[in-house]
Amino acid sequence: MHKRTFKTASVATLILSTMVLASCASADAGSEAGGDADGTLIVYTNSNGDGRGEWVTAQAKEAGIDIEIVGLGGADLANRIVAEKNNPVGDVVFGLNNMFFETLKDEEAVSAYEPSWSAEVDQESGDPKDGVFWPLVEQAIVTVYDTNKIPAADAPTEVADLWEDSAYEARYEVNTALGQATPQLVLAGLLAPYLDEDGDLGVSDKGWDQVQEYYAHGSPAEEGTDLYARMARGDVDFGVLPSSGITSRDAEYGTTTGVISPADGVPYVTEQIAVIAGTPREAAAEKFIDWFGSAETQGAFAAEFASYPVNEKARAEALPEVVELIESLPKQDIDYALTRENIGSWVEKTELEYLP
Amino acid sequence: MRNSSWRAMLRSPLVVVVLVVLVWFVATFLVLPNATLLISTFFPDGKISFRALEKLVSSERALNSLWHSFALAATLAVTVNVVGIFIVLVTDYFKIRGSRVLWLGYATTLIYGGIVLAAGYNFIYGKYGFITNAVRNVFPDIDPNWFSGYFAVVVVMTLATTTNHMLFLGSSLAKIDYQTIEAARNMGASTWRILWRIVLPALRPMIFAVTVLTFLTGLGALTAPLVLGGTDFQTIAPMILTFSKSSGSRDLAALLAIILGLATIVLLAMMNRVEKSGTYFSVAKVATPLQKQPIRNPVANVLVHVVAYMLFVIYALPVLLIVLFSFLEANAISTGTITWDAFTLANYATVFGTPAVLKPFVVSVVYSALASLIVVLGMLFVARVFQKHRNPMTSLLEYLLHIPWILPTILIALALVMTFDRPNPLIGGQVLTGTTMLLLVAYVIIKIPFTLRLLKAAFASVPESLEDAARILGAGPLFTLRTVLVPLVLPTAAAITALNFNSLLDDYDAAVFLYHPLYEPLGLAIRASTEGENNLDAMSITFVYTVLLMIIMGFTMWLVYGRGGASRRRRRSRPGRPRGGAGAAAVPVPMPVPVPVAAAAVTVAAVPAAVPAAAPGSQP
Repeated sequence: MHKRTFKTASVATLILSTMVLASCASADAGSEAGGDADGTLIVYTNSNGDGRGEWVTAQAKEAGIDIEIVGLGGADLANRIVAEKNNPVGDVVFGLNNMFFETLKDEEAVSAYEPSWSAEVDQESGDPKDGVFWPLVEQAIVTVYDTNKIPAADAPTEVADLWEDSAYEARYEVNTALGQATPQLVLAGLLAPYLDEDGDLGVSDKGWDQVQEYYAHGSPAEEGTDLYARMARGDVDFGVLPSSGITSRDAEYGTTTGVISPADGVPYVTEQIAVIAGTPREAAAEKFIDWFGSAETQGAFAAEFASYPVNEKARAEALPEVVELIESLPKQDIDYALTRENIGSWVEKTELEYLP
Repeated sequence: MRNSSWRAMLRSPLVVVVLVVLVWFVATFLVLPNATLLISTFFPDGKISFRALEKLVSSERALNSLWHSFALAATLAVTVNVVGIFIVLVTDYFKIRGSRVLWLGYATTLIYGGIVLAAGYNFIYGKYGFITNAVRNVFPDIDPNWFSGYFAVVVVMTLATTTNHMLFLGSSLAKIDYQTIEAARNMGASTWRILWRIVLPALRPMIFAVTVLTFLTGLGALTAPLVLGGTDFQTIAPMILTFSKSSGSRDLAALLAIILGLATIVLLAMMNRVEKSGTYFSVAKVATPLQKQPIRNPVANVLVHVVAYMLFVIYALPVLLIVLFSFLEANAISTGTITWDAFTLANYATVFGTPAVLKPFVVSVVYSALASLIVVLGMLFVARVFQKHRNPMTSLLEYLLHIPWILPTILIALALVMTFDRPNPLIGGQVLTGTTMLLLVAYVIIKIPFTLRLLKAAFASVPESLEDAARILGAGPLFTLRTVLVPLVLPTAAAITALNFNSLLDDYDAAVFLYHPLYEPLGLAIRASTEGENNLDAMSITFVYTVLLMIIMGFTMWLVYGRGGASRRRRRSRPGRPRGGAGAAAVPVPMPVPVPVAAAAVTVAAVPAAVPAAAPGSQP
């Protein structure tokens, strides 16, 4: 071989093998996340916004647990955990709702552990059958309005009035981003009374009519514009929000939020916690769960972030207005195990046929 | 030579090495993961499922959205070319007063995009936009929703996607043989005729390449229709996004994406065919830089000036507004009532008050820089081999490299996680899931088609005679590539690197499934601080991050263009200065000037002389 061609070949090999090097170098990188049992605990959550992630990290450190928070949106987080299940990166997951945890359990991506505080929470809110995941915080998904504009006496008493009464035509916001958790729960709440084994996807035609009417008469949410901003400038009068978001919005927009409280109740979600299956840091993960779900930590968390803890001992620390609101709203009867099985196809049908 | 046989192709060790590495890379990272995912999606129980197709055909909404996406892509392919070619001519070809200022205004699309860009236009022309308000104060009968639907989406996306024209058409224009233009003028050809018969035809390979890109951007349009489309004009991308996140609907997402992808591939194949049938040796063989042309017709001259400055204002307004908005309270922005009291530094305080705010920036800069350099370096060889050796094997490889254009990023990322979560013999038995490497691999992959297309177009405009001359003079293939060909495509390569870098900086879709917990990239950090039920300042915080990103991206573009561009303009403005030949090779030559390489065709000594000439550009 010519000297020059040899040089040519070797230089080309060098440059192009950058990509090859990428895979070889991973051996070093791998050890960071991989097997050692003492490293930093990786905590997956969708509940890290508004300073919660920083708060949990700092409090855990005081309690002697080193954690690193990985914060992602609900659907993304669940997808990531399922995709990683053969070689898990995270050790603990908290904040996802029952539906997502049912999926994780079904995929065997989380494993069972009975926390030290298991007696202080209502088993029914978690996973009463297998005890794989455990409840932390409860939220109601509510339809809100500003009582400064619409006196509580004039507001509809049933959510269905919004689309059945032409006075509310296009005056209520509908969130069409069905990949997200809250719009999915709204859908589940709409369909729950109409479950029918003979109907399409287990729902009677009447149920699907409700969905169609709901989206047809609403005003689609605007990307990047908050519901309360739209209410402030008079675009819409009603919209859906998880109850934990009310306090901060009233402060920001000077509104006094009223909530529609239907006779059948509103959908509730319960945020859960569980150990990710196959983690080498199982002991540390269990220690974190024992600490985070304890009455003391949950009470402090509730006082700081206006949450409503499931842990009965921790409720004493929760803000009085939060407790009052939650206790005034009846729980809608939703079969979450059944919803979990069907929500994917319900979302698909809605997306294909009913969205504006 | 262009249609060389297999044997000729395999005789060159350089080509063999490139092909071996390429085949390995394509098989390991493009074909294996995606094929596994698609097979499990479309053949759930080992037999083919037509469920997705049936669902799609029976959904009026999906078909409508699909049709909208195609209509948008086709419209953009026309409108973006019109506006894009206009701004390139105004800034680089015609004598226009203040063309440097104009260039800066048009270049603003290089440094921002996505939701922020759409929101910026919405704040100006939308229902509550201040122009709409101002006009309605005078004419109250005007529909406040005038700026929505198909029209608004086309306007905003046309303005937002002229980036590729500015960079790539601009650098192709600089390489046009000026002597041909002078000769035509001496023969009495009008300004218009020269433009139509000489300049535009010479730009054709690059126009084809950027048209494919524009079409693709139109098909994948996500945020502009969401913000401005209203209920009448929604596109398919949001639906694909929703479906790809739900395991049960993933087949629908894949099917929709494949339909869009196939349309792009068909367009690509058509363009390849047209490109093959013509020869476009537009590069100047003698170093006479392009001189700006005056528009001789006074009416036309005034008209072009007016249009150019109007466009400037339209381009620049949203950027100014975003900078302004980053200093405003969230409430003031979203309700559209701006008073002096509303100005605040609180948004910046929030961003910089977050612990470790700098780390995501560093992580993303490192990832983006590594990925964009690796992909450009790799594709320089690959594009060269593809362009020189056309046979079924290279064609197949070329189409396979476009897989990232066909599938949504989310699916590619998921496929990578699930394929490399166990030791894989193709990568030496390593596990990549959960390592810092996997995200880099993904970033390299998703930037391959864009890089390859533009580099191929750049190589296509290099005359073969230069290469022949170098070979006759005894230069080896790598030496020729390094000293003759690469300097000619370097402006394009540098621009691609900068654009890739900029677009990866705030990536979310790939990172969300692949990032290593200890190295959170910027896109995730932005999302974390702007999402959440209690986060009311989301839009303001997004604006602050956008301003910070604009600074980084502006700096990148300055590194690539600013220094060279400034000296190019200085040089142009003094036409009397002697240049060309060996003299030009001695001074540092800014990138977009073609040149001294042409000397290679003349003397042996000039070949090494071209190396220092190219050096300033090679360090973007």
